[in-house]
Amino acid sequence: MEHILNGIIEAFKLLLSGDRQLYSIIFLSIYVSFTSTLIATLFGVPLGFILGLKSFKYKNIVGRFLYTCMSLPPVVVGLLVAIMISRRGPLGSFSLLFSTTGMIIAQTLLVTPIITGIIFSSSKERGEEVKEICKTLGGNKVDTLFLLIREMKVTMLVAIATGFGRAISEVGAVMIVGGNIKGHTRVMTTFIAMNHSMGNYATSIAMGIVLLSISFITNSILYKYVMGDRR
Amino acid sequence: MNIKLNSVIKKYESSNTKQNESARRKKNKANTVLKIDKFAFESNKIHGIIGSNGAGKTTMLKIIAGLTNSTEGEVYYNDKSSDEELLKKITYASQRPYLLNNTVSYNIAYPLRLRKINKVEINKKIDHIMAEFDIYHLRNQQARNLSGGEAQKVALARALVFEPELLLLDEPTANIDPNFVELIESAIAVRSNLKRITVIIATHNVGQARRLCDQVIFIKAGKIIECGDAKEIISKPKEEKTKKFLAFEYNIS
Repeated sequence: MEHILNGIIEAFKLLLSGDRQLYSIIFLSIYVSFTSTLIATLFGVPLGFILGLKSFKYKNIVGRFLYTCMSLPPVVVGLLVAIMISRRGPLGSFSLLFSTTGMIIAQTLLVTPIITGIIFSSSKERGEEVKEICKTLGGNKVDTLFLLIREMKVTMLVAIATGFGRAISEVGAVMIVGGNIKGHTRVMTTFIAMNHSMGNYATSIAMGIVLLSISFITNSILYKYVMGDRR
Repeated sequence: MNIKLNSVIKKYESSNTKQNESARRKKNKANTVLKIDKFAFESNKIHGIIGSNGAGKTTMLKIIAGLTNSTEGEVYYNDKSSDEELLKKITYASQRPYLLNNTVSYNIAYPLRLRKINKVEINKKIDHIMAEFDIYHLRNQQARNLSGGEAQKVALARALVFEPELLLLDEPTANIDPNFVELIESAIAVRSNLKRITVIIATHNVGQARRLCDQVIFIKAGKIIECGDAKEIISKPKEEKTKKFLAFEYNIS
């Protein structure tokens, strides 16, 4: 118990010391997760709307596939991306293995199904009603699209926040694709895993606190918007 | 606006493709929810569609509103087929209204905004209709927090605020407090008489059909059984099925 308490005290000391290496790891984590969430949003939101609103033959099968992809194991995604971008892989010529770009690709593949799946499920459920009401009040297709975006802004926010949460907290994919190279591809989660295995509990706990704080801030902003919207 | 239904049939698609031909034929028959050979709703009148649950009232309204396509047949509006401009003059208010995730006044102003009406005019119109429907005090409330009856009043105000030429109402007073039913009915009657709006109301409230409607049609299993003057049909129905329905409705009301 004592080493845990010491760890927490050490963690706060470390955080307040202004250690450049620590902060560069935090910023790299945020950069990689933010970029991958942004790319996943650009693909996932329109795709989720299209799949949810259109009627097509294999919609149920597509839905099941999407929901399965929402829980893709990060290690498997990391492995697949690493095989694709390794020197002998089909994308080997781009030299993306052990690079930030490679990590962003892996996280984008993890996050896109989450955002798409949430938007798909919600637009499938409520899209028809929104389309119907817009049509009965005299709206055209463009009005319907804008109304749909306005009506589903909370869902979109939840989807994006969930995706970001997944990206920033996963360790398997970035470990395999990024390789946890100091000053280059080391992010918060790989840093925690490495320090834990080395017995540096204080450093691990410090980074854990930062990770939890980022998660708390993201969710607080989300909660504020959701509650503000429902007030 | 007059409405003509010409050989309108609505069937639900069967999902089982492996069934044999005779079973499919039987299923197809069972899946026909509406079958109207020829019928015309005269303009500037209040029409009632009466019938029990599942008779096809809502399906008929939704087909006229352009929200559901008929499997066969055509609907003509003033002897023309529907187009986007024409559908802008029609509105449909469901018995379970969907209100936008915003305030009551935003909801009522929404169809006016779609028509690019200026802000001053919008405010004037929505204030007037909110006062008429006794919902002015709710104007800044979140529409999703309203009770069922309040939500239905807001949905009706929203449907009427832009003065449509054809008003389609599905059980318009189903959730409304009996004290306010008269207010809603008079708002509908005023619009039909003064603003020359054609109104079609689907209801199983026979009393309401008698009070409000000029003409009624009684439908059962998707087919028109009897139609004509509202008071005449309700007081002296000719068809046995209509008599049975009216006797049952009067007994429970």
